[in-house]
Amino acid sequence: MNWSFVLSNAITLACIYGTLAIGISLTWSSLGLVNMAFGFIFAFSGYGAWLASVNIAPQPAVVMVAGILTGALGGLIVCLLAFIPIHDKPNFPLRALIATLAISLIGNQALLWYFGPRAKSLPRLFGSWNADIFGVVVTSDKLGASLSAVVLLTLILLWMRSSRRGLEIRAMMMNPHAASIVGIGVRRTGFYVMALTGSLAGLASVLLAQTYYVAPFSGITPMVKGLSIALVGGLGSVPGAVIGAVIIGLNEALTSTLLGGQYVLITQFLLIILVLLVRPRGIAGLLDKAREA
Amino acid sequence: MTEAVEQVWIDPTDCHYPEYPAREAPTNAHLSHQVTWNETRAFKPRMHPVGRLRYYYKWPGHGGRLWWRKRYWPTRRRFLQIRGEYNPKTMRREKTIVDKRPIWWTLAFIALVLAPAIVPAAGWNTVMSAAAVFGIYSAINLCWMLIIGTAGIFSLASYAVVGAAAYGTTYLAIQFGLPFWLLPLLGALIGFAFGLIIGLPAMRLDGFYYALLTLGVVELCRVYVVQSREFGSATGGLYGAPSYLPASLGQMPRLLFSYYAALALMVFALFVYRFIDGKRLGRVLRMAPEKREAFAQACGVDFIRARIMVFLISSTALGFIGGFYATHFGGASPNLFSFDTVLLSLAMLVIGGIGRSEGAVAGTAIVVFIDRVLIDLGPLRYMLIGAIMLGVVLFLREGLFGIKRQFRTWRDKKKSERRATRAEKGGEMLPEEATETEDKDQIFFRRFDKMQRDFLKRLVTDTVIEEHRTRPLGQHSEALERLLIYFRRQGQVDKYAIMVLEEFKAYRIVALSGHRGTAPRVVEDRNYATPDEAYHALFLRRVQDLLES
Repeated sequence: MNWSFVLSNAITLACIYGTLAIGISLTWSSLGLVNMAFGFIFAFSGYGAWLASVNIAPQPAVVMVAGILTGALGGLIVCLLAFIPIHDKPNFPLRALIATLAISLIGNQALLWYFGPRAKSLPRLFGSWNADIFGVVVTSDKLGASLSAVVLLTLILLWMRSSRRGLEIRAMMMNPHAASIVGIGVRRTGFYVMALTGSLAGLASVLLAQTYYVAPFSGITPMVKGLSIALVGGLGSVPGAVIGAVIIGLNEALTSTLLGGQYVLITQFLLIILVLLVRPRGIAGLLDKAREA
Repeated sequence: MTEAVEQVWIDPTDCHYPEYPAREAPTNAHLSHQVTWNETRAFKPRMHPVGRLRYYYKWPGHGGRLWWRKRYWPTRRRFLQIRGEYNPKTMRREKTIVDKRPIWWTLAFIALVLAPAIVPAAGWNTVMSAAAVFGIYSAINLCWMLIIGTAGIFSLASYAVVGAAAYGTTYLAIQFGLPFWLLPLLGALIGFAFGLIIGLPAMRLDGFYYALLTLGVVELCRVYVVQSREFGSATGGLYGAPSYLPASLGQMPRLLFSYYAALALMVFALFVYRFIDGKRLGRVLRMAPEKREAFAQACGVDFIRARIMVFLISSTALGFIGGFYATHFGGASPNLFSFDTVLLSLAMLVIGGIGRSEGAVAGTAIVVFIDRVLIDLGPLRYMLIGAIMLGVVLFLREGLFGIKRQFRTWRDKKKSERRATRAEKGGEMLPEEATETEDKDQIFFRRFDKMQRDFLKRLVTDTVIEEHRTRPLGQHSEALERLLIYFRRQGQVDKYAIMVLEEFKAYRIVALSGHRGTAPRVVEDRNYATPDEAYHALFLRRVQDLLES
């Protein structure tokens, strides 16, 4: 068993899943919406990137931008269908959850219907070369995926910190009611948030398609992973999501080397349940400041 | 008020003195009171098509056995909730069936039992196997509805429980050669153990955290089953459980038998639902609805214990259903754990309406019909189901069976909006006042009075006032006479009187308060020289009061 190989693999996956988890976490904390259509957005943007690579050009930049843009489009669709009509209606969190599940059902079946069940593969974005970092041989796609995930995430977090829109989103995360009182449009901010998180899903999709394939139902497993990472880290907290991603990635690496690949999910859920039993709102989530409705 | 054509009134009593010319006075044109009547009775407000009021059929009450009521034997429940009352008009005894749901349930059961008779022979296989699936799924959904609706735990793992029980019992049956009747019981055991494991975090976790966690558990089960060799990773499922069907049966009787067995399972699940939701546990949980849990706990309602109890009982029932599933299909497939199964059955719950048993059953019927009978549609049928689910979530508050209440709420909103726009009522009673008034004569009296006043207001013209000024007492034209009769007989705002300050020299108008010992109130600071002037001034006051009313 090659430790360095497993570790680099885990770090790559942690970067990608962490991207998803941050998206889920952001949506939940600013809009109060558990976006179960994330898997659909993931697959949707994968197909968008694939279409771009076939129809426009198999350039890395084109594919990545196409994936991110389709992801943002998917996020906007979800926002239009599941957030705008019901965000001021009674029982919003539950209804939004079910609405996003319905969107995911419709969307996945539409993808299956239109593109067929056969998986598509994206062109290799980062070429095929190996790098030797401190004696650890890392393949190009892993390094590229991790680096681009980290770079883009950093950019987005900087944008969240410094720009006016980012300020609005953060105000919504703190207290949506007060934010709407001081003139931050809930619907407009909802569009920003959903476009942003959708593009995060698109990014993760393009990056993950380097290792796996693009298929109609390929989004479910990453979404579940992202959800569990967001759960462990605490819904609504970006550093929590990062910590959760690192923990889950380490657990995955350790389990698959020590016990075997089929026990990964079991140990992962045991770990999640343990963490949640100790801290019901996740590692970095605060019980008092939890978003209400 | 002024009439264009000058009408002349001729004093009819002048015929007694034919030697003199008849007295004439200008007056109003004749205005029939029918005009005002028709105008008032005309229906002017814009009505919105919002349906009729709540209407109960009133059954005749039985006189002899006034309080006779039949009950289910071991309980004190009645078959139908009947309210007995007296009709206040006829003083006759009447009965109202308050809750007609038992009647609909009975009719639905009869329809389900007789349904195989009307299934066309061409689609017999498809429809009957779909109907059996409907029975099993509705049983599962009823138990799940207990967890989601009654206990308020948003768990997505009930198919994981069913699947675990189905896999476990199939595995044990294959290993030890168990008879079919043991499988549901074993499944109940497995379900109980599974419920204990996944119910443990539910004590600490919040709704959404638990939902996401259970979604993960389902995914875990799916991946485990797909990967593990002894649960049939190669064959795509684990098969070989004993079937409850007698081996000698032909194709059609087999399907019929399995349909009735699934129906019996559904009835079992309905009993479970009823005996939890309608009894103490359900009551306790209904006392602690979402967001008021802390209050309920402070009041001494141990809702956490009740929740865990409900969760464990329904997990056990789900395990029982899982064992039945294994004997019904002869095994289990990883399909049970797929995300789509969870989604479809959530669609069943949502379409019917979360928190009611009829919603679970009807939603299952709809979704299973689309999924299993309209197979020709391909993936389009999932999109159809998803579209229905989305529409229900976006537009309905509590699913199909909540439409009635939602519609009534909307209608009440519309009604109160219309009421709020109607500012002037002029002495008539508003409908809601009218329904609350015991003495219905009051309603008609007020309406009549309003119409009368409307009519009289139109009679007040300059000519009539001029006529009264020239001759306050004595023979009057019809218009003036009507006004005066009204003033004489009707309750007035102020009871005016003429006070004699000095005979034939000074008169004054006062108002009587109606309280003994209180001096009359002086209305105007003016003395009149003759009684006729005072009469006319008083008439003017009353006319003013009438016009202001």
